[in-house]
Amino acid sequence: MECVRKLTNDLYWVGADDRRLALFENIHPIPRGVSYNSYLLLDEKTVLFDTADWSVCKQFLENVEGVLKGRKLDYLIINHVEPDHAASIEEVLLRHPETTVISNEQAFTLMDQFGYRVEGEKQIVVKEGDTQKFGKHTIAFVAAPMVHWPEAMVSFDLTTGTLFSADAFGSFGALGGRIFNDEVDFDRDWLDDARRYYTNIVGKYGPFVMDLLGKASQLDIKMICPLHGPVWRNNIKYIVDKYIHWATYEPEEKGVLLVYASMYGNTESTASVLAAKLAEKGMTNIHMYDVSKTDISYLISDAFKYSHLVLASVTYNLGIYPKMLNFLEDMKALNLQKRIVGIIENGSWACTVGGLMTEFLENNMKAMTVLQDGVTINSRMTGGQERSMNDLVDAILNSMKEA
Amino acid sequence: MLFTTTQEHEEFRAKVRGFAETKIKPIAFMLDKENKFPDEQVKEMGELGWMGIPFPKEYGGAGLDYISYAIAVEELARVDGGAGVILSAHVSLGSYPIFAFGTEEQKRKYLVPLASGKKIGAFGLTEPNAGSDAGETETTAEFDGTHWILNGNKIFITNAGKADTYVVFAVTEPGKGTRGISAFIVEKGMPGFTFGDHYDKLGIRSSATAELIFNNVKLPKENLLGKRGQGFKIAMATLDGGRIGIAAQALGIAQGAYEAALNYSKERIQFNAPICQNQGVSFKLADMATKLRAARFLVYSAAELKQEHQDYGMESAMAKMYASDAAVSITNDALQIFGGTGYLKGMDVERFYRDAKITTIYEGTNEIQRVVIASHITDKMSVAKHGGAPKQNAAITGARKKQIFKDGTPEEQVAALVEALKNDGYDFTVGIPLDTPISDAERVVSAGKGIGEKANMKLIEDLARQAGAAVGSSRPVAETLQYVPIDRYVGMSGQKFNGNLYIACGISGAVQHLKGIKNATTIVAININAGAPIFKNCDYGIVGDVKVILPLLAKALNNGQPKKPAPPMVKMKRPLILKDMPEGRYVCKGCGYEYNPDLGDPDADVKPGTKFQDLPEDWVCPLCNSAKTEFVPVK
Repeated sequence: MECVRKLTNDLYWVGADDRRLALFENIHPIPRGVSYNSYLLLDEKTVLFDTADWSVCKQFLENVEGVLKGRKLDYLIINHVEPDHAASIEEVLLRHPETTVISNEQAFTLMDQFGYRVEGEKQIVVKEGDTQKFGKHTIAFVAAPMVHWPEAMVSFDLTTGTLFSADAFGSFGALGGRIFNDEVDFDRDWLDDARRYYTNIVGKYGPFVMDLLGKASQLDIKMICPLHGPVWRNNIKYIVDKYIHWATYEPEEKGVLLVYASMYGNTESTASVLAAKLAEKGMTNIHMYDVSKTDISYLISDAFKYSHLVLASVTYNLGIYPKMLNFLEDMKALNLQKRIVGIIENGSWACTVGGLMTEFLENNMKAMTVLQDGVTINSRMTGGQERSMNDLVDAILNSMKEA
Repeated sequence: MLFTTTQEHEEFRAKVRGFAETKIKPIAFMLDKENKFPDEQVKEMGELGWMGIPFPKEYGGAGLDYISYAIAVEELARVDGGAGVILSAHVSLGSYPIFAFGTEEQKRKYLVPLASGKKIGAFGLTEPNAGSDAGETETTAEFDGTHWILNGNKIFITNAGKADTYVVFAVTEPGKGTRGISAFIVEKGMPGFTFGDHYDKLGIRSSATAELIFNNVKLPKENLLGKRGQGFKIAMATLDGGRIGIAAQALGIAQGAYEAALNYSKERIQFNAPICQNQGVSFKLADMATKLRAARFLVYSAAELKQEHQDYGMESAMAKMYASDAAVSITNDALQIFGGTGYLKGMDVERFYRDAKITTIYEGTNEIQRVVIASHITDKMSVAKHGGAPKQNAAITGARKKQIFKDGTPEEQVAALVEALKNDGYDFTVGIPLDTPISDAERVVSAGKGIGEKANMKLIEDLARQAGAAVGSSRPVAETLQYVPIDRYVGMSGQKFNGNLYIACGISGAVQHLKGIKNATTIVAININAGAPIFKNCDYGIVGDVKVILPLLAKALNNGQPKKPAPPMVKMKRPLILKDMPEGRYVCKGCGYEYNPDLGDPDADVKPGTKFQDLPEDWVCPLCNSAKTEFVPVK
């Protein structure tokens, strides 16, 4: 049985939810599942925008056939070749040998590499600025290189102002019947997953996202149809504003992400002292996580969200605690920039971790300002460190005033 | 294509040669011996219209071509190398930059008298620490709102003292290297502009060469030549053309020596025959004649390219390099042909031999000419490899405010400094003994070599007393000058300062000194040289004479009471200075790789500091091989 949503009088969502997948890209946990969105346009010609992951292929094919109702599938536009959207291409083409595939040159190369074969005579190669008319609807193609793959492009329906945005504006989370942004409480239920999706998957490529947003600002966009998560049909400014923050690495809020690495609870309790002192002085936007127990995708997401970061770590094998180092490496890989960082270090006989973390932040990342006031504890915090702790609290609060 | 000069060129040559033979040659020996500038003869050349040969008639010039100009320099140098360079320095260096980069007003005011020979021009680029490397220029010009204030000195300046108009290069934006240099027109007689003693040179002794000294020379703002920051470009463009003059001078000296040797070899009889019949001598003459012909073609060709407004930078470098190397070798051979006779004073070849040597050195050593030529013929990759600007060293003392008080009088600058210090929480009613050990002192007032005479140490002590500080010094002040005991000098190798306030007076900021004060909460710099490294490493600074600023500061800090003993030191917090974002990054559309100029691309031998724009056109993304054109700037 097909399970579809009608978006406009001739455009249908024919995607599907996947709630059984535990790790997106086999790395990021998705407790709320994920949707693979595909869209079908019924004009004089029929046009399918992207396909879906293999895991939902059966449902997806039923949806396509259910909407086509026996019509031929004339065109398949591939905006993005990543297998969570492209895996079902071959299956579609086996059922619809009449279909012509429209995509760009590099995308066809990647399809070939992945084994999603399209016969040469069934290919239409487009490039930036090309348009294709399907009846009432004319679709323009816009390159979106490195958002977050090089072949990525977006398709824009010049007739209706609908942007098929590929992975841009996507989110983790199964749709569960709702399809439009105004059918859910986005801020409450979806923003965190949208941020976690963006920051972990596209975060590194901010300059390219800004490039795409620059091109998009020239278009009169009425609706955004991403490949994951809800379709935006109003309040588009809201999500664009979030994207500008994330793509330019500007924090959304003044607040502190406090991440600790603690073996026996002493570093944790020291971090708690800092949190309590911050709250006592009125800074309550504090988010405290155990680096060993929290999936890194959540830490990355909050690191993009808040203005300040405090790293509290034990010294481990004369170096940085491995899980903390992993977090640092991931922040660097995702290009996080322009944060103010406080350091709490713990070492019982040779405390090196504070200096090493500072060095990593200053040398391997961009525009990360490490506060000069740090706290050094030996095994556990005692009254002797209270002054330096107070100094760190003041330094954090003062830097919030200035920034 | 017939490689020859025109009849007009040769008629012009005959005129200049006639003048040189009759007016200069007879006195050349005297000029050389007495180190004397041929004032009368230069004046006469002006009247003949030869001081502005390549400039248009509307600006007082002769409206002739650059080959004619080269011929004039060549013919003067053929009898006296010094006379050649007087003309070359006047035209190519002193006048050309005004012609090429001056405003209409500047051309009317300065170029017309120069080109018509009423005034003499000169050019000031070289400094003690900026010879081949102009980026190390230390002379500064600071704009005070109405005037440029010029300070510094220039060495080895041809026509110094004799010239009326000087094109001088100075740093207007410190720290920007060659892009921070601007050109100025300075007139002889401006207050503060003086000359050093004339150099006693090996050769070209009829030309005047001396040091230019600028001490707070006030230049009207309209004396800026070209745009601000354009100085290096102006200097390089000028030297491109100047090389033609020097090449012509070398050619003339060699021609004179060759002719003298050829004539002598025909007259001198040994073994019953003129020595020119001796194969050993004749081969020398053959080599000399060949080199002269090659040099002449190179010189005239470069002049012709310039005349036709074609690229000539490489060709003029080739001409200068080859002609001057040839001149050294030809004059050497000529003297050899003369034998013992040539070794005597009074012989032209003896003078030519000495005159020739300078041509391989000045207006770009021949080593630098080879750098210029090589940079034209190798691809841009070698520029990226070797020419990339070194990454600006981060301040040794860490992130500092670098707030320089420039506005107003020295009194107002000092008042602003004191206010900033008080705002930071410094209490100047308390103090510590002057001899508190440096490592224990909360505050130190330190003297560098800029303090001058030993008597001025009293200024340091007075200031230390009023600032509630101990007295320290730089290493040379303790070690070489011995103004203070050796345990008072501050630096990595001496005492480290860990306190709050460090006032560096007349300290330029050697690396080891800066390393010794990096823990200071606040660093104040007082130095006359705006380009001193201490200013990149300070929180507050005043550019000025310590003899003026220190008494003013001591007075401003004096509350009329003896200082109360300071409480135990509390280390003060350094201000939060956000880390800068690296600039000039580009990202690859093919894979997302980021090119960061601070890092370069070591695998492709692209040095750190190489701007993306300067990467060779065939440079590709190191990760995915995308072309340079596939990169977008990070905004």
